[in-house]
Amino acid sequence: MTTTTQNELETDVQVTPDGHARVVLHNQLDAQTAAACWSVLERNLGVPNLKTLEVDVSGLSHCDGAGFALLQYLNLGKMTPTAKVSVVGFNDKFEKVFREFTPADYTAFRPQNSTRKNSLPAEVGNAVAQAATDLYEQVNFLGDILINLPPTLVSRKRMRWPEVRRVFETAGANAVPIVSLISLLVGLIIAFESAQPLAQFGAQIYVANMIGLVIVRELGPLLAAILLAGRSGSAFAAEIGTMKVNEELNALETLGLDPIRYLVIQRLTAGILLTPLLACYATFMGVLGGVLVMLGLGFPLKLIFHQLSSAVHLNDVVFAAAKGVVFGAIVSGVGCLRGLQTKQGPSAVGISTTRAVVTSILLIIMADAVFSVVFFMLT
Amino acid sequence: MMTNASEPIIAVRNLKIGYGDKIILENVNFQVRHGEVFMILGGSGSGKSTLLKNLIGLYPPYEGEVWIEGADMVAARDDQRLLMFRKFGVLYQGGALFGSMTVLENVLLPLNEFTDLPEPVKELVALAKLKQVGLGAAAQKMPSELSGGMQKRAAIARAMALDPRILFLDEPSAGLDPVTSAGLDHLIKELSHQCGITFVIVTHELASIYSIADRIIMLDCQTRTVITEGQPAALREHADDPWVRRFFNREPDPIELPPPR
Repeated sequence: MTTTTQNELETDVQVTPDGHARVVLHNQLDAQTAAACWSVLERNLGVPNLKTLEVDVSGLSHCDGAGFALLQYLNLGKMTPTAKVSVVGFNDKFEKVFREFTPADYTAFRPQNSTRKNSLPAEVGNAVAQAATDLYEQVNFLGDILINLPPTLVSRKRMRWPEVRRVFETAGANAVPIVSLISLLVGLIIAFESAQPLAQFGAQIYVANMIGLVIVRELGPLLAAILLAGRSGSAFAAEIGTMKVNEELNALETLGLDPIRYLVIQRLTAGILLTPLLACYATFMGVLGGVLVMLGLGFPLKLIFHQLSSAVHLNDVVFAAAKGVVFGAIVSGVGCLRGLQTKQGPSAVGISTTRAVVTSILLIIMADAVFSVVFFMLT
Repeated sequence: MMTNASEPIIAVRNLKIGYGDKIILENVNFQVRHGEVFMILGGSGSGKSTLLKNLIGLYPPYEGEVWIEGADMVAARDDQRLLMFRKFGVLYQGGALFGSMTVLENVLLPLNEFTDLPEPVKELVALAKLKQVGLGAAAQKMPSELSGGMQKRAAIARAMALDPRILFLDEPSAGLDPVTSAGLDHLIKELSHQCGITFVIVTHELASIYSIADRIIMLDCQTRTVITEGQPAALREHADDPWVRRFFNREPDPIELPPPR
């Protein structure tokens, strides 16, 4: 016979050579003692071809949910599959609780191991169908915007200009410090990194030309748009997504207000107006960074400006501003669309914001590629 | 730690609570006995839920003591408070089930975190708790697939996973239809009788108060303290305070209507 005492529980295990086992439990069987009791039973009852197991619980003074679960586990024969198990000695109160959960309940309620996985063609099909649905929704959204934009723009009351001003301030004016810092540093880094290899050819003065072209044509608008996507596109998606989860969008619709007209047009307008300004500002700060490096290398300011003006023309600046308009429309439009597509559940808003940023950046880069081709063809 | 059954399981002494500079309740004193269904009542904005959050240690009170099973929640260190959290379960207004987990995984969470039980035993504990609240068949469902009443029952199962001796419920009947609400009341009464669980419930549902409350206290936002304490039936008939009588008799605030034209 093995007797083991764990804190408040005493476990006696008796196994006869002809395959009959008896377990006697005393005192408290709870969440703390049941874990240790399990180890003792597992160690002692692992006898091959055990015929019977009797568990005597008449000595138990306290048994909680974990204790009953352990007794149920033994009673179900899970630990001793070959043995006929009986749990005896319950008082009335314990008996009632124990009998409430039956072996049939265990079979019915416990998780079934369903590891059914879709085949590769099914996975590909689902992904294509999802992409097609997303494209359809994007086109639909674009159509809704084109229908709503003109009448909303001409109606002072419907446009809600104070909301446009609020978005302009939060997405634009409040973004100025971060845009300043990042653009300045990017300009500094590009100028600094390119100055060294160009020095080998005595062509350091052309750093100014390169900074002018790279920052004005590409990086200025791109940096502004990516920062806007991370900062404000995600905010639009979260804002509208939370409204959807809270049924505020349903409330708007039942009040007779179209969410596209009431929420999206304002954000889209603010995005289209502020991104060219932000792009021009980012360009200015980037060029300033490059100019600072050139000054540090000992070039006079007048010469730097001469080089810059010979490399950068007015059409480059106009093109940068045009990119800003398109990028602004992409970021604010995608942010709002992802917000409107938000589903139910605690992670829905998080998923929408992530999708807003990823789609925005993807579309910005694609639009930038198109701009490069168009610019090449025009010049 | 075993507690003497003759002692109150919860004792609140001179509690003063609020947010920032705003005092919501002061001089709050009451005791909850072992195994009783104790209700905290009051009008909207009287500080019922705030009091509950102070009782369970989520917010620190300005002054006073909250003794739960012989230990002061207010004076406890952070590590001691974490241990005290295991002595009771809490049902929040919306259920607060974790949406990314199934109902069974929600109930398993405290068992996984705080016990060394083997996996099959933990699963059996969780399934038994779910059966106790009538949700055995919903074990594999996600919380979003459940109705409001089912979510609250599942949250009660989670709160009971570690067999606490006290359950705090914040407006369990809010947003439920009368049938579901009555079912929840029945469950609370059953758990109180069968398992000896002490319930502290914040509510203003009169039907629940009459059917399951053993004792109540009522809070008042004017005086910012407990204005009455006792058994609901007795208070309904014999309360001295006119506001308490109006509350129990569902009498509206007198509104001055404009004179007819």
